[in-house]
Amino acid sequence: MINRRMLVFNLLRGAAAIFLALAVGFIFIVLSSDEPLNALRYLLIGPIFSIRDGVMSFNAISFQTILAAMIPTIFTGLAVCVMFSASQFNLAGEGSVMLGGFVGALCAIYLNMPGWIHPVVCVLIGAAVSGLIMLIPSLLKVKLGASEMVTSLMLNYIIMFIVLHFLNFNFADRSKGATQTFPFQPTAKIPALIEGSSKLSWGFIVALIFVVIVALFMYRTKWGYAIRMIGINQPFSKYSGMKVGATIVLSQVIGGILSGMGGSIEVLGRYNTYLWRELPGYGWTGITIAILAKNNPIFVPFAAFFIAYLDKGCQLMATYSDVPSEMIDIIQAAIFLFFAAEQFLAKYRQKIVVKNTRLEMGLKENNNLAQERRNA
Amino acid sequence: MFEQFLDSILKADFLFSIIRITAPVLFAALGAVVAEKAGVVNIGLEGIMSVSALFGVLFSYWTQSWLAGVLGALVVGVLLGLLIGFFALKLKTDIILAGIAVNMIGGGGTIFLLYMFTGMRGNTGALVSQNILIPTIDIPLINSIPILGEIISGHAVLTYIAFISVFLIAVLLYRTSLGLNIRAVGENANAAESVGISVLRIKYIAISISGALAGLGGAFMSMYYSQGWNSGMIAGRGFIALAAQAMGRGEPVGTMLSSLLFGFAQALRTKVSGLQGVSSYLVSLIPYVFTIVGLVLYAISTMKKVRRYRQSQPGTVES
Repeated sequence: MINRRMLVFNLLRGAAAIFLALAVGFIFIVLSSDEPLNALRYLLIGPIFSIRDGVMSFNAISFQTILAAMIPTIFTGLAVCVMFSASQFNLAGEGSVMLGGFVGALCAIYLNMPGWIHPVVCVLIGAAVSGLIMLIPSLLKVKLGASEMVTSLMLNYIIMFIVLHFLNFNFADRSKGATQTFPFQPTAKIPALIEGSSKLSWGFIVALIFVVIVALFMYRTKWGYAIRMIGINQPFSKYSGMKVGATIVLSQVIGGILSGMGGSIEVLGRYNTYLWRELPGYGWTGITIAILAKNNPIFVPFAAFFIAYLDKGCQLMATYSDVPSEMIDIIQAAIFLFFAAEQFLAKYRQKIVVKNTRLEMGLKENNNLAQERRNA
Repeated sequence: MFEQFLDSILKADFLFSIIRITAPVLFAALGAVVAEKAGVVNIGLEGIMSVSALFGVLFSYWTQSWLAGVLGALVVGVLLGLLIGFFALKLKTDIILAGIAVNMIGGGGTIFLLYMFTGMRGNTGALVSQNILIPTIDIPLINSIPILGEIISGHAVLTYIAFISVFLIAVLLYRTSLGLNIRAVGENANAAESVGISVLRIKYIAISISGALAGLGGAFMSMYYSQGWNSGMIAGRGFIALAAQAMGRGEPVGTMLSSLLFGFAQALRTKVSGLQGVSSYLVSLIPYVFTIVGLVLYAISTMKKVRRYRQSQPGTVES
């Protein structure tokens, strides 16, 4: 009962933050567009409903596109959840996605294997390489105290240029106009979930399975517990005998594995050849998603859906009205700021806490009090 | 090939270009220094530079005055600094997330803002003309000295301001009461509070100064370096500035030296990529690899110092 009131408050608070962020978006739309209502319609209902002659109908293809767009961002969102849970701001998810995608693509081109096993091997190798690369920022942090934030940001650029180097000088298919690799072997493609033109591959199911795996890892294993404890109180974790350094390294390697997996699944599920020539941006989106999900893996798919929906809405808005699709960045920034704001609506939370505490004093449930304090 | 390479870097114009390339990073790195001294992590430098770069061009175009453009960029930088400050200090958003949000505004957000104000997409090509770019100055006397004149004279006004700022920021931090307060807040906010310093106010001031400096860096990029604004033009300079601050041990002069190191790496990249048989992509890595190596060297030297200190004081407990 007491916790439920807090939960309801947290949900309402999140909704208010999202509402405010959208309101900021609306203001910018009204300021920049000659036909704001038209733009808004495409932004808000366009992604799922198509409107023809005033009749709204469910647009299944568009819905599938949104689900497909969630595949890489679920993975990066999970990766950021794991890394940020330890209060380590490793921002190399971006580079890991690109690296995982590239390595996975190379395996898809140059390895010979039967179908079904081939994509699995490609994805695992891509994920492993991305996991290994995360040893750089995490070990530098743990062993030398170098800021993981700065080294991971630099690492993104380093990965990008190295991938571009190999793409251009070693693996480019010169018969094509654009810089891209040779086509993947048909055995390596991740098959589509639903037959048809959509890009929704089996990767979506894999992503959902990993949501469950990561949630179990974070909340049902001692390693997950250690990661979360270190995030809450690092000195305490150290004094209570946890291996802080090893856990931090572990969390970032897992983050790398998840991002790399997302990258290779995206590349093998969506394209027939590797053609990313810049950082794909999924790493940053993953941060937004992790914030919306409050670092809880179970909420990641919902947050990913919300962002994919908004993104699709912004694209439609850019296509059918006069507002550029980069609008999404303004809305995302606003979501970021309000959603992550601890003190946003804090007065109301204070009231609930006071009310709860009174109730508890009456019930003399000291155990619950400690719980509540942790939740607050 | 190597001789040809040596020839090209042992020239005055190479040193000149190091100074030119260093200036924007130096501005932002000094911004990082001031913020960090007050205990504020400003990871939004990248975004502030990008937005300020855009508004520098817009203001100078609207007023047809480069000075107004630079001031406009500075004001926008301060406003974004305050935005980070408001959310981080008042609403308690994690300051790193607030910074990332500003970087998002600096990423796609600027493309949107440009469209909103001008209807243009992607770059400001048509807005820029020679008279609204930041002018260069020939320093009398020095410009007649051979070699040295070629290196030091003829830079943009803002380049000189960047290097003068090193001195100004050092004076601010170590010779004024505001600087004392900033350092006190960064060292120990509770102690500072207890002697009557308004921690919140000092942090707001520090992050505004940080934003202003990053704003100048942005103006330099769009109104001199690239002669116009385009998306992605900042290309990680704000992040490199954070690294330069860390490498420079958070001190103005040290930060200037590490910024120069970055300028050197970047200038080297331009020279090497002109040579035949060298991958331009691998050459592009140089500044970023330099940064990580620099950070590592700095971290190792700090570790050694701490260890030596501990050894000299056997009674201390390891923290």
